[in-house]
Amino acid sequence: MAIKRRTLLQAGAALTAAVAAPSIVRAETKVWRVGASLPMTGPFATAGQLVAPAFAEFETVVNDNGGIGGIPIKIEVEDSGYIPKNALANFQRALAGGDLHYYFGDSTGFMELVGPSLKGDQAVMMGSTSFASVLANPKERPYQYMAGPTYEDQFEILLRDVAAKGGKTVAFIYSDTEFGRDPIAHGKKIAAELGLKVVLDEVTKAAGADIESHVTKLAQANPDYALLQGYVTGVWPQLIGAARAFGLKTQFMGTFWAMEKVVADKVTAQAGPFLDGYQGVMPYRYFYDQENAPYYRELAAQKKAANPDFPGYVVTWELEGRLNLEIWKKSMEMTLEANKEINADNLMASFRSIKDWDSGGFFGAPVTIKDHKIGQGRVYRYSAETKLFTPSSDWFTT
Amino acid sequence: MIIGEYKTDYGQDEGIWNTWAKKLGFVVALLLLLLIPFIGNDYQLLMAGQIAIFVIAVVGLNVLVGYTGLMSLGHGAFFALGAYTTVALHQFFPHLFPLITLIISMVVAGFFGFLFGLPSLRVKGLYLAVATLSANFIVLFFIRQDWLEHLTGGRGGIETPNAYFFGTELITNQQKYFLIVPIAIVMFLFAQNLFRSRFGRALIAIRDNDHSAEILGISLFNYKLKSFVISAAYCGAAGTLWAYFFPAILPEDFGLNMSITLLICLVAGGMGRSLGPIFGTILILMVPELLKMGAFYFSEGNASAQIYFSPIRDIVFGLMIIGFLIFEPMGLVSIWDRFWRFINRWPFAK
Repeated sequence: MAIKRRTLLQAGAALTAAVAAPSIVRAETKVWRVGASLPMTGPFATAGQLVAPAFAEFETVVNDNGGIGGIPIKIEVEDSGYIPKNALANFQRALAGGDLHYYFGDSTGFMELVGPSLKGDQAVMMGSTSFASVLANPKERPYQYMAGPTYEDQFEILLRDVAAKGGKTVAFIYSDTEFGRDPIAHGKKIAAELGLKVVLDEVTKAAGADIESHVTKLAQANPDYALLQGYVTGVWPQLIGAARAFGLKTQFMGTFWAMEKVVADKVTAQAGPFLDGYQGVMPYRYFYDQENAPYYRELAAQKKAANPDFPGYVVTWELEGRLNLEIWKKSMEMTLEANKEINADNLMASFRSIKDWDSGGFFGAPVTIKDHKIGQGRVYRYSAETKLFTPSSDWFTT
Repeated sequence: MIIGEYKTDYGQDEGIWNTWAKKLGFVVALLLLLLIPFIGNDYQLLMAGQIAIFVIAVVGLNVLVGYTGLMSLGHGAFFALGAYTTVALHQFFPHLFPLITLIISMVVAGFFGFLFGLPSLRVKGLYLAVATLSANFIVLFFIRQDWLEHLTGGRGGIETPNAYFFGTELITNQQKYFLIVPIAIVMFLFAQNLFRSRFGRALIAIRDNDHSAEILGISLFNYKLKSFVISAAYCGAAGTLWAYFFPAILPEDFGLNMSITLLICLVAGGMGRSLGPIFGTILILMVPELLKMGAFYFSEGNASAQIYFSPIRDIVFGLMIIGFLIFEPMGLVSIWDRFWRFINRWPFAK
């Protein structure tokens, strides 16, 4: 059969339509893309696996309520193994997959690694699990923020609480990591301002610390309060246990990552009630403190509806992840309301303009963003009997 | 059927690309490497750059482990020395020509390679591996020190400089690719040539039987230390390119984990073979990424599904490594050998 010119043109047009159709369909089904690196494997797999379902739930709830500005969201989660280089590869792959409207990082290391490259086409609004003080820097890190106070702020809150409770001497005990050393210099400055004497400055290993040696030094210094920093599940319970066994009356205090009820409960169940009276700063309300937290009540109802066996408690690590997503959603809504294009610059401008925002109960006071962070927190005390952290101070603002 | 390679002079016997297949393979590989930066996206160039940098370090490790028969678990430290030397140099000379930085980093890493190679004169095998472990801890200890923080960034790491190449700042992954890959090719070819020289054959003799080599007049002291220096210098070069490639470096990037990864790349690819480091590095760096992409494809990135896929992915990778050690103990390069044997003999034999 001879091929006529007309037949050839028709075939060409049909082929073009067939090839182009999927991209047209894709263009019509636009979504707001969110990427996330979580440590599903590796040393913090427990935290990653506990937090991950929150991302899927957030996506479902937002989309069931019409998305953001009528457009659904799509959250794509990948494992990082808590290795910054892996998280960077995840981020680059997410960027290569099309428009990316938000990214959630899993560590200070990743945020520091990716920070300098967030410019031009690679600029993306980015939250993370980190409270590292260096990240609250709008000038150096214009696209990164944190959903809470920095470690320096957290230490400041603890010291102000110590001063308010009549403490005179404090010890700083921290791991030999960036995480551990983060607030120490600032803490010493604040302690001096508050008239508190730092009687011990003790560095420990992040894991496998020589507990007896550290507790002996602590006993010699005998401070009213010992502030612990740079630990998650290990070292701090052993330190407190050994100090109690030694008969020390020093009161121990920690920051966000050493304030999880699940960890304290497990330690109490395995080793006894020596964490009773342990205090620390928590930026958010604990999930069971729902009286002034409508967001928590709604979340509890959603979880109960999805899973009748829901135990009624949401870990603080998940709350941090959710708050990050809520802040992004808020920034998206503000940008859309202002009829501005959704891009990293406009999202961050909206984020910076958040003022007196009702977070639904995460914090005790309305949220105002300053220096890409939320400088609020409250001191809580753990009871080994009730297995609850309950407030031992009012809300502090830094 | 090809039953041998007919060589008419000694020069042909010395040649690296002495068959048409090798010549063709080299040209095709060069063309592919030239094509990658124009067709790859940022992620693909990130992986390509990372592979090229690792290849340099693994080629260096191959000089020591594969060809000289000396074990090392400390090469991550030399990698770190290269990276941190680069960052420190750029603090004093912000626009230092990258090849000068590269050479200085190689000298620094080579010097430390000399120091940490000294135990090789008295111990070998597992004992030497344990002795070289110390390099990781000592080097990282100093990198983390507060009094060196202005140079190294301490525990928090430090932002790295971009390379300036004849006045042009290399910012994008594509631009950096054109710095990294040519250096990787040159260093690969240098190492390949090394083992066609008297020096290289002496190292091989030491690997095969050091007592016999010494009886033949090969100075173990001299050659073992030189092998350590060359090997460490290669890792130093890789460290320099790493610093130019990534926007920041952290102490955790290096150390024991990296030392072990380099060794795994070498074992998986094939020790004592020039192509081994390339195959091994591609395998060890790309397979986890491919598995991750597979998991992402099946889970569509759903967070709840990833809870199950992620550990499975790690298990699959672990099983794959065990499988390789059992079924291909000589490394991936032996599959490559079999493939070419098959091509050469086809259709008369398999």
